Amino acid sequence: MRVGVPKGLLYCKYHRFFETFFCSLGAEIINSENTNKNILNTGVGTCVDEACLPVKIYHGHVASIKDQCDLIVIPRIMQVCKGEYICPKFCGLPEMVIHSITDMPPVTTLPLYMHDNKTLYKWCLTYGSAITRNRSKITNAFETALKAQSKAKTGIMELRKINVMLAGHPYVINDSYLNMDIVNKLKAKGIGIITEEFAPASVSESQVMKLMKKPFWTFQRNLFGASVTYCQQKKIHGIIYLSSFACGIDSVVIDLIRFYLGYFPMLVIKLDEHTGEAGVDTRLEAFTDMLERRMVNENNHPSYGECIYSG
Amino acid sequence: MKITIPHMGNVYIAVKILFDGLGIDYVIPPLNNKEALSLGSKYSPDEMCLPFKLMIGNYIAGIKNGADTILLVGSCGPCRFGEYSELQVKILEHLKINADFIVLDAVKSIGLGELFRRIKIIGSESSKKFTEKLNAVIRAYNAMCILDDIESKAHYIAGYEKNRGECKKLLNSCKEEVFACDDPDKALKLLKNYKKRLDSVPADNSKNPLKVAIIGEIYTVIEPFTNLFIEDVLMDMAVSTKRNLTPSWWLKDMLLKIIKLNSRELLKASNEYLPLYIGGHARECVGEAVLASKERFDGAIQIFPVGCMPEIVSKAILPTISRDKKLPILSLIVDEMTGEAGYMTRIEAFIDLLERRREYVFAGN
Repeated sequence: MRVGVPKGLLYCKYHRFFETFFCSLGAEIINSENTNKNILNTGVGTCVDEACLPVKIYHGHVASIKDQCDLIVIPRIMQVCKGEYICPKFCGLPEMVIHSITDMPPVTTLPLYMHDNKTLYKWCLTYGSAITRNRSKITNAFETALKAQSKAKTGIMELRKINVMLAGHPYVINDSYLNMDIVNKLKAKGIGIITEEFAPASVSESQVMKLMKKPFWTFQRNLFGASVTYCQQKKIHGIIYLSSFACGIDSVVIDLIRFYLGYFPMLVIKLDEHTGEAGVDTRLEAFTDMLERRMVNENNHPSYGECIYSG
Repeated sequence: MKITIPHMGNVYIAVKILFDGLGIDYVIPPLNNKEALSLGSKYSPDEMCLPFKLMIGNYIAGIKNGADTILLVGSCGPCRFGEYSELQVKILEHLKINADFIVLDAVKSIGLGELFRRIKIIGSESSKKFTEKLNAVIRAYNAMCILDDIESKAHYIAGYEKNRGECKKLLNSCKEEVFACDDPDKALKLLKNYKKRLDSVPADNSKNPLKVAIIGEIYTVIEPFTNLFIEDVLMDMAVSTKRNLTPSWWLKDMLLKIIKLNSRELLKASNEYLPLYIGGHARECVGEAVLASKERFDGAIQIFPVGCMPEIVSKAILPTISRDKKLPILSLIVDEMTGEAGYMTRIEAFIDLLERRREYVFAGN
């Protein structure tokens, strides 16, 4: 049995779990290639127009491997933390893909609550039994998968003289084609990078408590908590927010961060399938230049006028 | 305390009847208009959805007219409607506008006690006795139900009426008259009266008008300003329309959700295509499309604001339903830049298509 695992969306966070599980059951894992132009084009061609870029790219990944697999893992990740959600599009991901791409092999449609081992086990039991009838084998595979997943670590932390927080959803930061290899571009400029994963949970949590309402998106809680924490600990000199166009969560989070940090330097880069690399390069350069000069000349005060909030 | 509310369709009429009954001071902001939209889009984040922007416009207008407290409802995800209050408080703070927010959030996120505390803040403003208060709430709820009834009936009869435009005229004068009336009991009587009058509109039952279901995101289907008065336009074209999502439906749905008995038929219909809740009303949208084909509607029109996350999922599913059930579906996406001409052309073209489909495709069968 060949099981396809498309390299899109939360693949970067949870691929170990799915791959280890199906591997231990003796299935052959078929990964799609890293995102490239072909995948992007197929994705844009098949996906519903209004979706965000990562979802479109995901469609491309699925389309590129659908003919080689007997089962494709399209994780319907409902929650990754208790009582919190992620984007609604994840909850409807299998439906979006099935109805947009023709001639699909069977896909996984059961919901996944990544924090809840009971539903994870149920998921594994359902799809594992397509490969083997041996229940204890599935249980063992499930446990190895859980163990492998617990070892998985994502995030970038390379601190230098000038540091920025690279904010955004993990699938935007970890896909170097989607974000035009921004990580290496920053490294080449000698800028240190830190992502949200390294904020101490207790401090981050106390920042989140300042909000009027408990956030119900995990991404929102992490990004908001981490950026405010880093800023107050003076760990970073600026924030570069990678956001995909029409992302509903970012439309809230970016402005929340702006309201709470005020004058703090923040560059928001919107990514979609039309984004030109030259424009992004120019803005990155201008931003890093500003950070450098700000350290030398301005003593960390805003140089001119007031922060004009335009939304 | 002077309360203002954001607009959503005819809710303002029921709220007026409620506050009149409770004897609480209130300001109803002017109906959604260009000014509210331009103010709202100026001060809201770019990529926010349309309802958020219009609400900001409503608040500013309401506060300008003397209100100091904003009443709105909330939810707890995963659609961004739940985060509205958080950001709106900050935006008004930034604009140096002083206003208190009373957010009637979902029980799931704040707990029953906190919800009652918030309701009590409003209740304590009223000097009426408890039974009178309860009476006022029930009366307002009844008014909302009757108004929704009148509206849906008018939209449906519009295809059958003998004198073109009668239903529309009746509906408009009903809203005007009831809104002008300050006595809640009288307003309720007026509504009942109008309901009777609507029943006696001369109708030609031999007609077989086109029937179109209006589905999609709840705010944009209910609030006529956002969908450029699509229901009125269709009434003028003598098309019968049906829309399931109404304010009274929403209220019933919210209450019944607690015991999981909400809109069973709709959810059953959606099971085939979208078996899980994904936030917003995506599941209802899918279910309505399936039901529309079962009820032999000629077509469906889906309306949602740009970037609406749940509706994007349902938009991906609708083409399959359209193919499977042979039901033409038109998706209209609205935001502050929606141009009227292009929008009307598409609606006209869609209605033409439905007409000819009936003539040429089904005539041969």
